[in-house]
Amino acid sequence: MKPTDLVQGTLDLLILKTIALEPMHGWAIAQRIRQISKDVLQVNQGSLYPALHRLEQQGWIKAKWGESDNNRRAKYYSPTSAGLKYLEQEHSNWERLSAAIDLVLETS
Amino acid sequence: MTTRLFQKLRLRTRSLFERNRVEQELSDELRFHLEKQIERKIAEGVTPEAARYAALRELGGVAQIKEECRDMRKVNFIENFLQDVRYGLRQLRRSPGFTAVAVLTLALGIGANTAIFSLIDAVMLRMLPVKNPEQLVLLSYNKTKPVEGPTGSGYGNTSLSYLGFERLRQQHDVLSSIIGFVPLGFSPESVAVNIDGQPSLAGGEMVSGNYFTGLGVPAVLGRTLTEEDEDHAARVAVLSYGYWTRKFGRDPAALGKRIALGGQPYTIVGVAPPEFFGVEPGRAPDFWAPLADEPGLTPWGVQPDNGQSPFTAKKWWWLMIIGRLKPGVNQAQARAALDVWLRQSLTGDVGLSQAHAQAFRAQLDPAARGLDNLRAYFSQPLQILMALAGLVLLIACANVAALMLTRAQRRRREIAVRLALGASRGRLIRQLLTESLMLAAAGGALGMAFAGWGARVLLLLMSGSTSLPLDVRLNLSVVGFAASVSMLTGILFGLAPALGSTRLSLSPALKENSSGASQTGRPPRWRLGKSLVAAQVAFSLVLAAGAGLFVRTLMNLEHENLGFNAHGLLLFGVDPTQNGYKGARLVTLYDRLLDHIRSLPGVQGASLSAFALMSGWQNDGPIAVEGGQNKADQNPTVLWNIVGPDFLKTMGIRLLLGRGIGDHDTSASPRVAVVNEALARKFFGNLDPLGRSFTLGTTSFKLDDAYTIVGVAADAKFTGVRSEAPITAYIPFSQVGDLGMMHFEVRTAGEPTLLVSSVRRAVRDVDSNLALSEVKTQTQQIDEALLGERMFAQLSSFFGALALTLAAIGLYGTMTYTVGRRTNEIGIRVALGAKRSQILRMVLGEAFTLVLIGAALGLPVALAAGRLVATQLYGVKASDPLTFSAAIAMLLAVAGVAAYLPARRAARVDPMVALRYE
Repeated sequence: MKPTDLVQGTLDLLILKTIALEPMHGWAIAQRIRQISKDVLQVNQGSLYPALHRLEQQGWIKAKWGESDNNRRAKYYSPTSAGLKYLEQEHSNWERLSAAIDLVLETS
Repeated sequence: MTTRLFQKLRLRTRSLFERNRVEQELSDELRFHLEKQIERKIAEGVTPEAARYAALRELGGVAQIKEECRDMRKVNFIENFLQDVRYGLRQLRRSPGFTAVAVLTLALGIGANTAIFSLIDAVMLRMLPVKNPEQLVLLSYNKTKPVEGPTGSGYGNTSLSYLGFERLRQQHDVLSSIIGFVPLGFSPESVAVNIDGQPSLAGGEMVSGNYFTGLGVPAVLGRTLTEEDEDHAARVAVLSYGYWTRKFGRDPAALGKRIALGGQPYTIVGVAPPEFFGVEPGRAPDFWAPLADEPGLTPWGVQPDNGQSPFTAKKWWWLMIIGRLKPGVNQAQARAALDVWLRQSLTGDVGLSQAHAQAFRAQLDPAARGLDNLRAYFSQPLQILMALAGLVLLIACANVAALMLTRAQRRRREIAVRLALGASRGRLIRQLLTESLMLAAAGGALGMAFAGWGARVLLLLMSGSTSLPLDVRLNLSVVGFAASVSMLTGILFGLAPALGSTRLSLSPALKENSSGASQTGRPPRWRLGKSLVAAQVAFSLVLAAGAGLFVRTLMNLEHENLGFNAHGLLLFGVDPTQNGYKGARLVTLYDRLLDHIRSLPGVQGASLSAFALMSGWQNDGPIAVEGGQNKADQNPTVLWNIVGPDFLKTMGIRLLLGRGIGDHDTSASPRVAVVNEALARKFFGNLDPLGRSFTLGTTSFKLDDAYTIVGVAADAKFTGVRSEAPITAYIPFSQVGDLGMMHFEVRTAGEPTLLVSSVRRAVRDVDSNLALSEVKTQTQQIDEALLGERMFAQLSSFFGALALTLAAIGLYGTMTYTVGRRTNEIGIRVALGAKRSQILRMVLGEAFTLVLIGAALGLPVALAAGRLVATQLYGVKASDPLTFSAAIAMLLAVAGVAAYLPARRAARVDPMVALRYE
């Protein structure tokens, strides 16, 4: 089965949720989303970086260069406090939306 | 939230100013990603080569991702713009000839428009430099029925009662800051001034004490006038900045100095700011004095007929009043309140009946831009000029657009390569438009320099002997105008070529050789280039025909038979009433002046008159002729001139019957008059007019007795060149009750201006306090009367020549380019046996086809435009066939020259070279 394409706008939510626990670089974010979703969600790597840059420019996440394995420098992203609030809000929006969709699918 | 905002700001500035570092980080980040991905693939057992390939494929195009990330920075457009500007500069520098022609063309177009706009701004748009100008209203009245009203002096219905003004000031219900003001004469120089023993003339106004405070105009030096000054009729004066500059060299010591105004000592107490020219654009007072009944200064320089003071004469109105509408009061309320006030003056002071006074209505006009006399005079001419200049700009735009198009054709390969490499069409259009806007900006900047110079030339053309006091320096609105016009032209001439040149199919364009010659004939967008040339020709025809009409108008007017001999006449005015001369003493003085002048060497004759001919001034009124009949005209009016002895002879007006007015016609002798042929014909037909008599005047203004006709003179024009010779009566100056300023006419065989110094000396010998005004020759006077016509003729010729030049450049450029592209084809034709003359004819024929199409399009437009300016023309019809054929012939001649060079080049094409071209 082809990995499901991400619904427009949910990428932001996934990124924020993923880096809420610890700062992560872009490659790790893509891997983590894939692992946790058991390979169902595959982030298109081409759209990951523009999304990260957009979130950064909008002030939801911040970036810092840090040491990775093998002493390589990588750009680590973590949410800002405004970004955490935004995550909460988007999360509840998502729950409402999916609950509503469930409801429609079950009743009809 | 604030930290979020801060972060956004920090990132934006970083992306702008640390661009290299940000770019480096972006590369690093993506490289790190690729490395991790490759490592992982290798760990999964893929060969390094395959791992690398897979990682790259999964990520997608690195360049595209980078560009997308850049887009997220939101400052991309600035970066792109700067990039475009740098690239554009390189491109423009690479073709300096094109750049120079384009910038110069645009500069001329934008400059002409900006120059005219700066005059329109000064005359029609600019607010007075006072506090809250939008609140100001000018009071006047109108009549609902043609009934007789108050008499007086001034511009007509804006002249109001001084006594009424006193009453209005007591009321404060609808207006605040009620300001009264009045010029001290009609001509710009009407008050005798004496500074340190030097007599001169100046223009001034009497103003109420609250004039400066009410308008909110402070003094730049000393103080302004106060209400106490008016209450105590203090002899103090505020000078205009210009007068202070001219007479005192901006010396602060002028403050406190005593000067004589109208023979009375006044103290200078202050200087008005440089940008303040009073409230009437075009009439700049030299000084302001308190509104008071003074012996030396008279409102409008005119005394009421009954010898009363203008300040007490109840029926004589002359004061202009402006005020500020109180907040919360609307026009209708204010008008209602002022109606009551106005009718009170009409019944109480003038003595009209209640019913009669009901026909009068108070009127309030916005005065934010000051009085509108100048506006009324110049607004139509300026609008016509603006339209002409607009056409020139359109031609310039078409011209530059055609140049851009030619250039774009040469850049087809470059554009195709960039499109093929993945540049978006929008990005390329933006790039090309940036280039156009850069050209427009350069043209605009240079045009602004032209405009500053052009506006001064225009002002000179518009001014007569006294220059119009208008401030035409660059200001914010003028610069704004130039900038927006530049922007607009940039888009106008840039858009079509940009759209056209980026819409191309890539493979043929890429296959073209470097010289741009195509194998598939003419490029599809080429029709646009030809239409642009045709449009230029059409607009040029409009301008050339317009110039022709205006030039012929001026020529007709200049060769108009005026009925008198204007050559060899020196004119000047003297106003001895300023020095206290009156009645019989005044007549004697004029006689003595005349004697002195007549005896000067080189003087063949001299006379004097109340109005100099062609000065625009006139006196008219009803005439009642004894025994004369004219059934068609129940209320005939006549123009009269009060003249000295030998007036007709001096002016060269032919005497047809009887005698002229001579030295023996004095106050003691019987009242006599000379009339012109038109008057005699109108009232007496074929009967002998000699010995008949007539009276002049209105019920309120009578020239005493009946005058007996002793002579008939040939018709001569009076007020201006355009109007027919009016029915005219000449009255001896010694036989009218109330004499004022007179104008002398001095005839000489030589150059009249050579007499000026001896005439001045002669006048000074009689009375050293007399100042000469309006010293000029009669031909200068006529030139001034034809000022507007001359301005039109000169400017429209200039614009027409400019338009033709631009059209010629456009045609030349286009034909050169066409010939260049068709070298190949022409070579084949020659190789197949075409004669050189055939080639020449082919190219010329193509050029003339374009010109004829343009002319056919322009002709109806030119005819319609001619109708619009018909009122400005004289002796030539708006559709004059001669003018139009001449314009077309000129167009064809210019086109012939412009097309001949490229045609000759085409005819000289060497078939061998041409065929080897690919």
